[in-house]
Amino acid sequence: MDIATSLAIVTLAALIHASFQLSVSVLTLLSGHSLGAKRSQARTLRLTFGFVTGAGIMTLLMLTFVAYLFQHFFGSSAPQYIWAIACGLLVGVGLSVWVFYYRKDKGTTLWVPRAFARHLANRSKATKDTAEAFSLGLTSVIGEALFILAPIIISALVLVQLPTAWQLVGIGIYTVISLITLGSVWVFISSGHSISAIQKWREDNKHFLQFAAGSALTILGFFVYVCKIITDVVGVS
Amino acid sequence: MAEGKAIDIIKRHGQRPSESFAREKLHKSVVAACISAGAPEGHAESIARAVTDDVLGWLDTHPEVTSHDLRRVAGRHLRTHHPDAAYLYEQHKNII
Repeated sequence: MDIATSLAIVTLAALIHASFQLSVSVLTLLSGHSLGAKRSQARTLRLTFGFVTGAGIMTLLMLTFVAYLFQHFFGSSAPQYIWAIACGLLVGVGLSVWVFYYRKDKGTTLWVPRAFARHLANRSKATKDTAEAFSLGLTSVIGEALFILAPIIISALVLVQLPTAWQLVGIGIYTVISLITLGSVWVFISSGHSISAIQKWREDNKHFLQFAAGSALTILGFFVYVCKIITDVVGVS
Repeated sequence: MAEGKAIDIIKRHGQRPSESFAREKLHKSVVAACISAGAPEGHAESIARAVTDDVLGWLDTHPEVTSHDLRRVAGRHLRTHHPDAAYLYEQHKNII
């Protein structure tokens, strides 16, 4: 697999990661509560910036940790069955996202463990300082691990085969692109858009986002399967 | 008006202990929803006063209500003043 194809896979995986909504939900709630509690716009921005930074750091840590595990156990070239499992996982999670991602309730309630969701909702209401918002960002990424693990695994598998400098580029690309939606919401909030407009847009478009994320996961699974496994088996370079 | 007499608010279908109605608590939650929806503070305060008065009027005929009823009625009255704030007020538990 050449460098361009590898980075394209990492980019698509990061876009899929960005389409998952738990962190965006927590950010929406955090800014809503912060503005509602009459905190200054500057304070709200500091809190939300802390949150986005936390989410970015945890994404970076998860990706590098999974890549380290692959490098440690398999070196720079993982066996075919690991690639096959990763592709299966992508397709499986893609189909699950189509069926399960949002709960049937009104709003944007997600299929994450309810205790986790309650904890995130309660803490986003109570958070007053940037350090806690940062830790909330870390936690919200862990909360959606069930969905983001598949794109992270495939990106890690792709990255460990690259030369070291390109691995760093790939990690940077993944982290930055996975923060696109959070960054956009942060920009909307800082430019004074109302939280209700953001939440309404999310609710109105939730089925599209769900379909897009599920489809992209499935497509990525098939693409990597063809690109890596079938190509290697058939012997085409 | 209902302000003078004790009104029990039944929390979460009776799973949590009931509590007395607090005008200030309702007022504060409506103000928070209005400010989150982009209303200026003074406007949010006046909307909250109007909504709280409407809810108190409704409570005159309902000595015991659930927290869900209270939120539904407050949301309905809020919608006439500020639909975006009403949306946030009603949906805040359905975001995550």
